[in-house]
Amino acid sequence: MTRSILTRTTALLAALCLSGAGGYLFLRFTGEGGLTALDVARAVLMTFSAFWLVWGGAAAVLGVFVPSRRAVLSNDTPQGMTAILVPIYNENPVETFARIAAMNRSLIELGVAERFHIAVLSDTQQPENARAEMVWFQQLLAEPMSDGRIFYRRRERNIGRKAGNIEDFIERSGAAYDYALILDADSLMEGATIAELARRMDGDASLGLLQTLPQIIHAQTLFGRSMQFSAGYLSPAFARGAAVMQGNEGPYWGHNAIVRVKAFAASCGLPELSGKPPFGGHILSHDYVEAALLSRAGWKVQVDPNLGGSFEEGPENLIEYAKRDRRWCQGNLQHRRLIGAPGLKFWSRFTFVQGIMAYLASPLWLALLATSIAAAIFPNPQPMFAGFDPTPISMWVLGAAVAAVLVIPKFMIFLRGAVDGRNRRFGGNVRVLGSIVGEIVFSTILAPVMLLLQSRAVAQVLLGIDGGWPATKRGQNWLSLRDSFSASWWIVLLGVATLGSTILFAPTIAIWVAPAMLPAIIAPLLIAFSSHPPRKPKVPSLFRTDLEIVPSPVIVQQRVILAAWLEQGEPAGTTLAEGIGHVHA
Amino acid sequence: MKYDRQFAHANVLPDAPLAMPKQQLEPSRRSLFGALRDVFLVFSSR
Repeated sequence: MTRSILTRTTALLAALCLSGAGGYLFLRFTGEGGLTALDVARAVLMTFSAFWLVWGGAAAVLGVFVPSRRAVLSNDTPQGMTAILVPIYNENPVETFARIAAMNRSLIELGVAERFHIAVLSDTQQPENARAEMVWFQQLLAEPMSDGRIFYRRRERNIGRKAGNIEDFIERSGAAYDYALILDADSLMEGATIAELARRMDGDASLGLLQTLPQIIHAQTLFGRSMQFSAGYLSPAFARGAAVMQGNEGPYWGHNAIVRVKAFAASCGLPELSGKPPFGGHILSHDYVEAALLSRAGWKVQVDPNLGGSFEEGPENLIEYAKRDRRWCQGNLQHRRLIGAPGLKFWSRFTFVQGIMAYLASPLWLALLATSIAAAIFPNPQPMFAGFDPTPISMWVLGAAVAAVLVIPKFMIFLRGAVDGRNRRFGGNVRVLGSIVGEIVFSTILAPVMLLLQSRAVAQVLLGIDGGWPATKRGQNWLSLRDSFSASWWIVLLGVATLGSTILFAPTIAIWVAPAMLPAIIAPLLIAFSSHPPRKPKVPSLFRTDLEIVPSPVIVQQRVILAAWLEQGEPAGTTLAEGIGHVHA
Repeated sequence: MKYDRQFAHANVLPDAPLAMPKQQLEPSRRSLFGALRDVFLVFSSR
């Protein structure tokens, strides 16, 4: 605990000092000869936005120096009974059930399957999808040891969405299990990792939740593979740093985590918030809240980024990413209602603020850009305060410092990988360095588009527009230029208007505005181009991950099962009634 | 009916209920009327 408090304080001081210094420098540049209200507003925006950038960077830098010992997995059979919960909502049942079958076989190979039951908790609302789930569930029941271990149920109404789905399971069947491994429809985990999670729960009676760090797999498009590389290569360092700061008040990301059922049931019943959505009603980003509630009740909530064997799939294009981000944005902004919730630990409240700032940062950067353009268009308003003498440091230094905060942690992660040999697993130093540079270039080009999409999402939520709960489209959904344009025409318009008016009315700062607005102007091209897989080779060098080079056994197993099922087609000759004998608990 | 009556698998999960009480997350807001009533109750009980 002392270690967490020390690292939190150090990171906080670093973020405060660096962002304060940045804000002061900015004020000196803009306030030469007299400070206007606009200058002060810009400096405040700069300091506040820079604080969160440095804070994120501090976690990564910290993570570079934290040892990452691969967890030693034992072969003991876990003592407690675990329910593996797979909540689904209008998903592709063939792919989802193939993942379940692969995890089941992995547990059987380890000889621990009898300690694990699997429950598919369907919230599917579309009748056609529901029918397909029932049909393909028969296929799942043909898997070894499915009798009395693999269950399916569907709710007619998805009250409370995913959190409500899990809650419904616990209220009906929770007392039969010690632990629940909560997954998403796209989750995949090695049997050894699942068993280790249960053993950790066995070994520490005060552990309420243990989160793994899922690695993204099966990405094919440029956008998807860039995220996959980022999650596989860079995220572990960020997560290790964050884990040290969080200590026993760690995160819960809603899936690929095990919970102690008794603790979860006693502390995580989520109420509906008063008022209407988007700020009232069901809690959307329930995972953060559940982690806070477990901590409030005195349970340890931990993350182990070194556990491995935990996977998920990610969005394959920017539009799907933005759809998911819109949902998360509404959920995180809703947390403003919970910052003052009674009894929460300070860190939990800070986590809510951090989650809110992850989305508010975009409109704040946008406001900084807008006020800077306004300051250039109206250069001589009445100063409010005496200004500063001219500084010998160029404005570019400040720009470079902001860029350094974003880039340096990534190169530090690379250096550590070169020293400890991790880069070899990703194809060698040259390939990894190329991918890191590629990721920086790609994310920098996409940043203005993402910034505008996030700003729109925040604006929609603040205007009271409920985004609902659209189902996630997984797998191959490549976008045409027309689809991309229809989703991003407003970004193009905004980019043209901003850059055009800057060139006309404030040409001196056009060079600063152009890098932000040019990607916005070509947004449809970027979105469409990045949503397609490379023509050849099938697995390009750029953004190659360790799992693309040597896939984990459960990934291979899942591919084999899926290919066999797809070749065979929908199970024929089965009636729903045939399955009943297989599923008695 | 909460569960899909068409699907027989609805009943096969273990029947082992576990209560999941709703947690208090919002600070309780007291109305002026409620505060007056509480004051009255304090005096009336003496």
